[in-house]
Amino acid sequence: MKKLVVIGAGMATGRALEHLFETEPGAWDVTLFNAEPRGNYNRIMLSPVLSGEKTYEEIVTHDADWYEAHGVTCRFGEKVASVDRDRKVVIAENGDEVAYDKLLFGTGSNPFIIPLPGHDLDGVIAYRDLEDTYRMMETAGTPGAKAVVIGGGLLGLEAAAGLRMRGMEVCVVHLMGHLMDRQLDEAAGYLLRKALTDRGIEIRCSTNSKQILGENGKVRALELDDGTEIPCDLLVMAVGIRPNVKLAQECGLAVGRAIHVDDQMVTSDPDVLAVGECVEHNGAIFGLVAPLYDQAKVVAKTLTGEHDSFVQREVSTKLKVTGCDLFSAGDFADGEGREDIVFRDPARGVYKRIVIEDNKVVGAVMYGDTSDGNWFFGLIKDGTDIADMRENLIFGPAFQGGTPLDPLAAVAALPRDAEICGCNGVCKGQIEDAIAAGATDLGGIRATTKASASCGTCTGLVEQVLAVTLGDDFVMPASQSICACTDMTHEDVRRMIKSQKLTSMAAVFQECGWKTSCGCHVCRPALNFYLLADWPLEYQDDPQSRFINERKHANIQKDGTFSVVPRMWGGITTPQELRAIADAAEKYSVPTVKVTGGQRIDLLGVKGEDLPSIWYDLNQAGMVSGYAYSKGLRTVKTCVGTDHCRFGTQDSTGLGIKLEKTLHGSWTPHKLKLAVSGCPRNCAEATCKDIGVVCVDSGYQISIGGAAGMDVRETTLLAQVATEEEAIDLIKAVTQCYREHAKYLDRIYKWMDKVGLDWIQDQVVNDLESRQAHVYRFELSQSIYRKDPWAEHAKKPEKYQPLADLTLEAAE
Amino acid sequence: MMDTVLDAPTRTFIEVTEVWVPKDGRLVLANGNYGALDDFAAVSGQESFGPGEGLPGKAWAEARPVVLKGFEGSYFKRTDAAKAAGLTSAVAIPVFAGDILKAVLVVLCGDDKNRTGAIEVWAENDGLLMLSDGYYGAARHFEWVSQHTHFPRGQGLPGGVWASNTPILMRDLGSGYRFIRAESAGTAGLTTGLGMPIPVPGSKTFVLTLLSARGTPIARRFEIWDARKAKVGHAREAVLIDGICAREGPLWSGETEKERRVDAWQGPVGKALGSGLPVVESGTPALAAGYESMVALPIWHGPELAHIVAWYC
Repeated sequence: MKKLVVIGAGMATGRALEHLFETEPGAWDVTLFNAEPRGNYNRIMLSPVLSGEKTYEEIVTHDADWYEAHGVTCRFGEKVASVDRDRKVVIAENGDEVAYDKLLFGTGSNPFIIPLPGHDLDGVIAYRDLEDTYRMMETAGTPGAKAVVIGGGLLGLEAAAGLRMRGMEVCVVHLMGHLMDRQLDEAAGYLLRKALTDRGIEIRCSTNSKQILGENGKVRALELDDGTEIPCDLLVMAVGIRPNVKLAQECGLAVGRAIHVDDQMVTSDPDVLAVGECVEHNGAIFGLVAPLYDQAKVVAKTLTGEHDSFVQREVSTKLKVTGCDLFSAGDFADGEGREDIVFRDPARGVYKRIVIEDNKVVGAVMYGDTSDGNWFFGLIKDGTDIADMRENLIFGPAFQGGTPLDPLAAVAALPRDAEICGCNGVCKGQIEDAIAAGATDLGGIRATTKASASCGTCTGLVEQVLAVTLGDDFVMPASQSICACTDMTHEDVRRMIKSQKLTSMAAVFQECGWKTSCGCHVCRPALNFYLLADWPLEYQDDPQSRFINERKHANIQKDGTFSVVPRMWGGITTPQELRAIADAAEKYSVPTVKVTGGQRIDLLGVKGEDLPSIWYDLNQAGMVSGYAYSKGLRTVKTCVGTDHCRFGTQDSTGLGIKLEKTLHGSWTPHKLKLAVSGCPRNCAEATCKDIGVVCVDSGYQISIGGAAGMDVRETTLLAQVATEEEAIDLIKAVTQCYREHAKYLDRIYKWMDKVGLDWIQDQVVNDLESRQAHVYRFELSQSIYRKDPWAEHAKKPEKYQPLADLTLEAAE
Repeated sequence: MMDTVLDAPTRTFIEVTEVWVPKDGRLVLANGNYGALDDFAAVSGQESFGPGEGLPGKAWAEARPVVLKGFEGSYFKRTDAAKAAGLTSAVAIPVFAGDILKAVLVVLCGDDKNRTGAIEVWAENDGLLMLSDGYYGAARHFEWVSQHTHFPRGQGLPGGVWASNTPILMRDLGSGYRFIRAESAGTAGLTTGLGMPIPVPGSKTFVLTLLSARGTPIARRFEIWDARKAKVGHAREAVLIDGICAREGPLWSGETEKERRVDAWQGPVGKALGSGLPVVESGTPALAAGYESMVALPIWHGPELAHIVAWYC
């Protein structure tokens, strides 16, 4: 009998032995070493064992009877100390030597442990084998126990779901921006996150761990790099695996990232084969089961002297969490020449995306409906030309019955308690009830529920509820959607963002049924503004969704250079500031220096590469970005007021400075210009600004909705207040109201025409509580956004000899 | 393999299973498995229930699963016949497709000091699942603890079913139940549980669990079939996603194995799939693994038949 020694009783070697015994029963004398004290079990089913949905006995692939029946000498719980390839013996830990004719490495992989401080504390484990699983089950047995899982990949999420089923409070900490980032795109990652959050699992993405904290040698909490501590009794690291190649390396086999094998699974030694997660084939390493089984087949053929070759093939991914249906295969990264087809059904939580290149499907991601997954997988594997079926491709093989894209799906999916009219607090259910009671048009709904009867921005949504409820009996008035990615209007989407608490771009795309995977240049800037205005703490500003001027923090000019405008609070400057501006203008050879209409100085013609340096210099002189490029506060123009002017009634300059300092950095739907005039002579031209203040003897007249651009408009009086403090509060409140309700790229006057001055007055003038609430929300947002963007990007100009006196250098 | 499959039970936990379907505004008996209780079967065959009448009518009218323990003096209409047959408790499970009642499945159990198991109805209350009611046979202590247990979303069998809106078959009842089992050491362990969502019109959430004990298992084979379009596409078929059998072992398919599927009207599960109604079969030679009786219960998500759970004795 030929002697075969196998190192590692995993799924790959187990399958290889099955094939071998089928082909040549009784021909091989097999000795099987395994470091784990047991034989082959279906390791990928450990997650259901953890959750309680399977037992260990159920996932055993080869039991003692099987090994006995095939005459396998089992050396379980024994590690191999070394391999002497010259003498062709394997040396066990206890010194036993086992001779081989053929040796098969199946040493698998080791979990990667991030070397965070505290990683060796008791209670910090990986998730790899039955011992880890039992350890988790045991910890979960303590009522109130908490777990942290580092890693939001396949294994980490399965561990989290299992631990949650066991009754633990679970938090998943993931470094990347969305879950399962290697298998899913952002949209599918969003749906998965939602499903897991729904089962009580806390998910933190884009989160970095700093250290693991312990107490008496046992894990106590995970500390994140922002200082947050997440308490835990168990910390599971599921951040990836590394091929286990130590033994192979020590015995001199060729090893790269893993053990090198050829197409026949033979290593650099013709009598030594390798299979599974420990091998490297044509530069690739393997973690999923399908290619491992293909390798196992080839191993058996090679051992029996038949010819077969291992061919790498596409793999697909599924997640073993009951109720989470996802499918992912191929490559779905954006790229030149690639297009995608997207289908979303917000009501069913379905997202499907097919990526096409050269008329072939190269990638597929699905969430919620995976029935066609294998069909798409087949198209990818076979490289099928899909030119002829492109039209209906997304609906799968049974496309005739495919659900057509329903423009009303997002509204149909809203629960009854979703708030449609924010002004009057009217929910979808109340509107449905009103329709059931006989209201069949917008007027009827307004009369009975007051929905859309105030600011009117929810009109579109109310009409859609009517359409969904009444069906063909309601004729939808035509409305302008944001862009071709959606059928919803700006107002609809804003209402959805508020009422459904949508706090990410991916959430908006899915819940509003976007027809593209990640929006376009039209909708993204609008959504970016809506999200940061409504969810300043939850949402992170996305620079990629901004126009170039906002991304560059400078206005691009027609020759590709930029203009730089430092802020001059209230139009007041100092000799030092002027000197610094002059120095900068000379140092960076600024061709044009201009005084703007907003009472500040514009440096025109700055080269893109000089921007960080010029910002640095201006920052050093105490100046910050004037946001002259932004859809946000531009300037507060002032006159000299009581300090110098004999007509002045109040300190208009002082108020202007305070307003500019309060409002700067705040993003608004469009640019926002203010002015404060010290008397009705109105030298600061306050009555053609977005918000103008005219000081009078009895206080401050605050008016809004002026413009002096393509449209010229005079402001309308919003209110007169007695004190400066009240004036500032009112301006903050009306700014916030504008931020919360206006359509992106509407100046205040356009917004005011839509919602009416009365409504604005109801929000911020007449109702003091409401005014204060607006002020509070404005300040909350400003706690994030009241900052100088230059400072984050400013760089000391190294090319100008960093150690020298910069002002002297510039003066030369 | 698992606790339920160790030894043959002397008597089954559920003695009678019947399916009532609406016809002309009343519920009439469609089929049933009465075992040897012929007299009770005869009485039942003549009965019908309007909305609110008797146990099936109550489940219909109130649109919720109803547990009834003790028939004497209750709204139960067949008290005398049940008493004669030794039946003391019953659970009525309405099968709704959206707002439409398709059927009411009624299971009846006998009182027996030796029979342990549980049929529980969990209802959502303030964001937690609380025990609405349950029948526990001899497991009195277990009943008491269950009354004082609640499950958040995602935790334990009821919380897992609630969060995933999917039937789940558990071999090791962890959260909550683990404590109960430890307390009930010495008595028969309740290890295997089948949990399923019971959708009803409106926004209420109900979860039904069948917890099986060694010795007096509720069933000796459990199956969960997925029939959602999202899983099987437009074909009218269902795929076996989990199951366990005393005779055949685990019934699930590994990642690289072929799944087991049934077409509509193919076998009793296919019949439930085709008709959308619960199916009760007994004495049919064609039942899986040679079992004598089986129940297949369809679970709808709105207008779509989503899952079928089946249990065999």
